Amino acid sequence: MLKVTKSEEPKHNLPCEKFLTPRKLYLPLSQHTGKPSKICVNLQDTVERGQAIAVEDGFISSRLHAPEKAKIIDICEWYHPVLKKAKCIVMEPIEEQEHKFTPREKVNNLDKEALLKIITDNGIVGMGGAAFPTHVKLSPPKKIETLIINGCECEPYLNSDSRLMTEKLDEIFKGVEVICRIIEPKEVIFAVEDNKTEAIKKLHLVFSIKKYKLPNLTLKILKTAYPQGGEKQLIYFLKNRKVPAGGLPLDVGCLVHNVATCFAIYEAVYFDKPLIERLVTFAGDALAQPKNIWVKIGTPIYELFDKGILRFKNEPRKIICGGPMMGIALDNLNYPVLKGTGGFLFLSENYSLGEEGPCIRCGSCVRECPMSLMPTLIDLAARNENWQLAAIYGSADCIECGICSYVCPTRRWLVQSIKQAKIKTPK
Amino acid sequence: MKNIEISKNKEDKILSDGVNKLTVSYSPHLHTNQSAAKIMWSVFLSLIPAGIAGIFIFGSKALWIISLGIISAIATEGLLQYLNKKKITLNDGSAALTGLLLSYNLPANSPWWLVIIGSFVAVAIGKQIFGGLGQNIFNPALVGRVFLMTCWPKYMTSFMKPLNAGFNVFGSVNYDAITAATPLMIVKEGEALSGLSYWDLFLGRHAGCVGEVCILALLIGALFLLLKKYISWHIPIIYIATVGVFSWIFGQKGLFSGNFLFSILSGGLILGAFFMATDYVTSPLTRKGQVIFAAGCGVLTSVIRLWGGYPEGVSYAILMMNAATPIIDRYTKNRIFGK
Repeated sequence: MLKVTKSEEPKHNLPCEKFLTPRKLYLPLSQHTGKPSKICVNLQDTVERGQAIAVEDGFISSRLHAPEKAKIIDICEWYHPVLKKAKCIVMEPIEEQEHKFTPREKVNNLDKEALLKIITDNGIVGMGGAAFPTHVKLSPPKKIETLIINGCECEPYLNSDSRLMTEKLDEIFKGVEVICRIIEPKEVIFAVEDNKTEAIKKLHLVFSIKKYKLPNLTLKILKTAYPQGGEKQLIYFLKNRKVPAGGLPLDVGCLVHNVATCFAIYEAVYFDKPLIERLVTFAGDALAQPKNIWVKIGTPIYELFDKGILRFKNEPRKIICGGPMMGIALDNLNYPVLKGTGGFLFLSENYSLGEEGPCIRCGSCVRECPMSLMPTLIDLAARNENWQLAAIYGSADCIECGICSYVCPTRRWLVQSIKQAKIKTPK
Repeated sequence: MKNIEISKNKEDKILSDGVNKLTVSYSPHLHTNQSAAKIMWSVFLSLIPAGIAGIFIFGSKALWIISLGIISAIATEGLLQYLNKKKITLNDGSAALTGLLLSYNLPANSPWWLVIIGSFVAVAIGKQIFGGLGQNIFNPALVGRVFLMTCWPKYMTSFMKPLNAGFNVFGSVNYDAITAATPLMIVKEGEALSGLSYWDLFLGRHAGCVGEVCILALLIGALFLLLKKYISWHIPIIYIATVGVFSWIFGQKGLFSGNFLFSILSGGLILGAFFMATDYVTSPLTRKGQVIFAAGCGVLTSVIRLWGGYPEGVSYAILMMNAATPIIDRYTKNRIFGK
C-alpha cells in the first residue's frame, strides 16, 4: 500500500461547474464492461433527451441514452480512451430549453424487481472506473451481508467523488437506501479517506441525525492510501476478509458500490433520469484552474476548451484520461467523456517512465504490491515468454494498479509486462 | 501561452500541432524520485565514516588503497563497457561502490597491484561477465576478495598494526615492519587475547582490513541506511545475532562457553552484514527469504570460524548464500492475496 505524497496531489474540493451544451456528442457503444450495446435508432433520427439509443446485448451489457434532444448525424469509428477507436453514435444537439425530469411518484411502493428494472433501463454502470453494469452487481447469486459504499477516491488527483459527497450527500444516501431495498444487507459501511475533510464534516452531520433507513450503518474513515479504492483492498481493510484469488467480493458476502453510482441510482429511481451526465475532475498543472464539471456523457473534451470553461496556463505535454497511476495517455482532445471516466489530467511536464534500467532486485515492487505478487519475477518470466512461470508468480491476479512501476528505482515497465502475461497466460 | 488549436473538420480530427508535442506513454504517469544511482551513491556515502576511521587507524596507506580500489574498479567497468559497445553507466555508482567495498576488505599494507587485480576481477568476473548491473549471482567485491585470498594468501593475511591514535596520519611509517595478527587469528591459534578490550574492538584499535575494523563508524553508516530505508534490519540483525548465538553455543571450552560480544565485534562481520549481505542484487527478494538467507550466512560464518581452515568466514558465507538466493526466492515467494 502506498502513500502518495502530498506534493503530488492538488487541493481537494475543487469548485463544481456545469457544462451542458456541447455542439456534438460522441457516444461509443462500448462504455462498460461486457458486450457493446446494440444500436436501436437510425441515422437522421431525432431523439428526445433520455431516449434509449442503444440497448443491452445480453445480460452483462448496458443501455445507452441520448444526453440531449438531438439528431443522429453519423455512426462511425471515433476515439475511445481504452479501445483507441470504437463504434460511436454521433449526434448534434438541438437547442431547446432545459428539460427537467419529473419526479417519480410513489417511490416507496416499488418492489425489488421494479427497482432493478429501473436501474437496468437507465443504463447505470459502476462509476468508479471499471463501469461494470450495476444491475448485474445488484443481482448477486449469493446473499450479501455487507454493503460497502466506496467514498475513497480511486486515484490521486481525482476528487469528483469527494466533491459529490460534499454537495449531494442526501441524494447519495437515498441511492444507498434503494440498493439496500434490493439486496437487503445486514450492515452498511460508508468508507471514506481522511483527506476529504469537507465531505467528512457533512458525513458526521448525516450520521448524527440518523434519518435514513439503513441497517447497522457505520462510518469508517481510512488513512489515505493508494489503491485503497480497489474493491479487494477496501474489503480487506474494512472487514479483514480476503476475496479469494479469481473470486468476487460476493464470495466473502460483500458488495462495493461507488458513491457516484449511488447518486446515479438515486436519479434513476427518483426522477427516471438515465445515466447521461457525470461529475468529472479536470486537473493538472497545465490548466489555469482545475475544476470539477458536470459533463454530458459523450462530450469530447475539446468542447470544454472551445467554450472557455477550461483554459491552459501552460502548454500541455501530457493528457491523461483517468488518474496518474492507471490512466491512459491521450494523443489529442477528441476523446469523449464516458460513463466510467472520473477525470482528465493535463500535465505540463512530458513525464514518461522513459528508458528502463536493469532490475537491481531491490524488492520494492514485491513489498509494495497490494496483491502480494512478485512483479519483477513475473516481468522476467514474461520477457522470456515463460507464461507458465509468470502465472506461478501471480500474473493472473494483478489489479494493474501500477504501484510496481511507480516504486521501481530503475523505472522498469513492470505493469505492462504483467498485463502482457495476463493476456498470454494459459487458462 | 498559445492555446491549442482545435480542428473541427471531420477529416482532420487530430489536433494540428498537438500530436507531436503530447507524450503518449504507458501508465503510471507518476514516479518516485528514487533511482538506482541514488541508492548506490547513498550506500557509498554511508561507507565513508568507516573509510575515514580506517585512515586514522592505519595512516595514509589506507587512503591510497581506497582510492586505488575505486579508481581501478571504475576504469575496469568503463573499459569493458566501451569494448563491448555497451552504454557506459559509470554514474550509477555501482562500480565505485564495488571498488570501495573491495578496498575495505584488504589489509592496509597490501601492494598496489593487488588492489588493481582485485578490482579488475571484482568488476570483470564478478559483474560484467554476467551482463552487468543486476545480472550477477555473486557479490562482486567478495568475488574480488576471495580471488585474491586464493592467489595471494600471504598478502591477504599479513595485517599491519594500528598507528598510535592517528597522530601521524600522514607521517612516514615503515609499513612492512609492523605486521600483527587480527583478533580472530589470535583466537584461532588458541592463544589468549591480551590487552584488547571490547572498547578497542568497537573503535577498531587492532589489526585488520581497512574498512572493517571500526565498528562505530560502520554502525553510523548502517544507521543512515536503515533510517533512509535503503536496507531493512532483517538481513544484518539476523546475520549478526546468528553468529553471536552460534559462537556462544559452540565455545572452545564446551557448550555455551563462547563469547557472544567478541564474535560479533571481531572480523568483518559488521561490514559484511550491513553492507555486503544486504546487496540487493544477490540477496532474496522477500523478507521471508532474507531471514533464511541471513540465518544461513550466520551459520556458515560461524562454522568456518570455529572449525574451518580460515580464521574469518564472512566472505565465503555470503558467497555461498548468494548462490542459494535463486532457490530461496523460488520457495519463499509471497502468498498471493486471497490464495
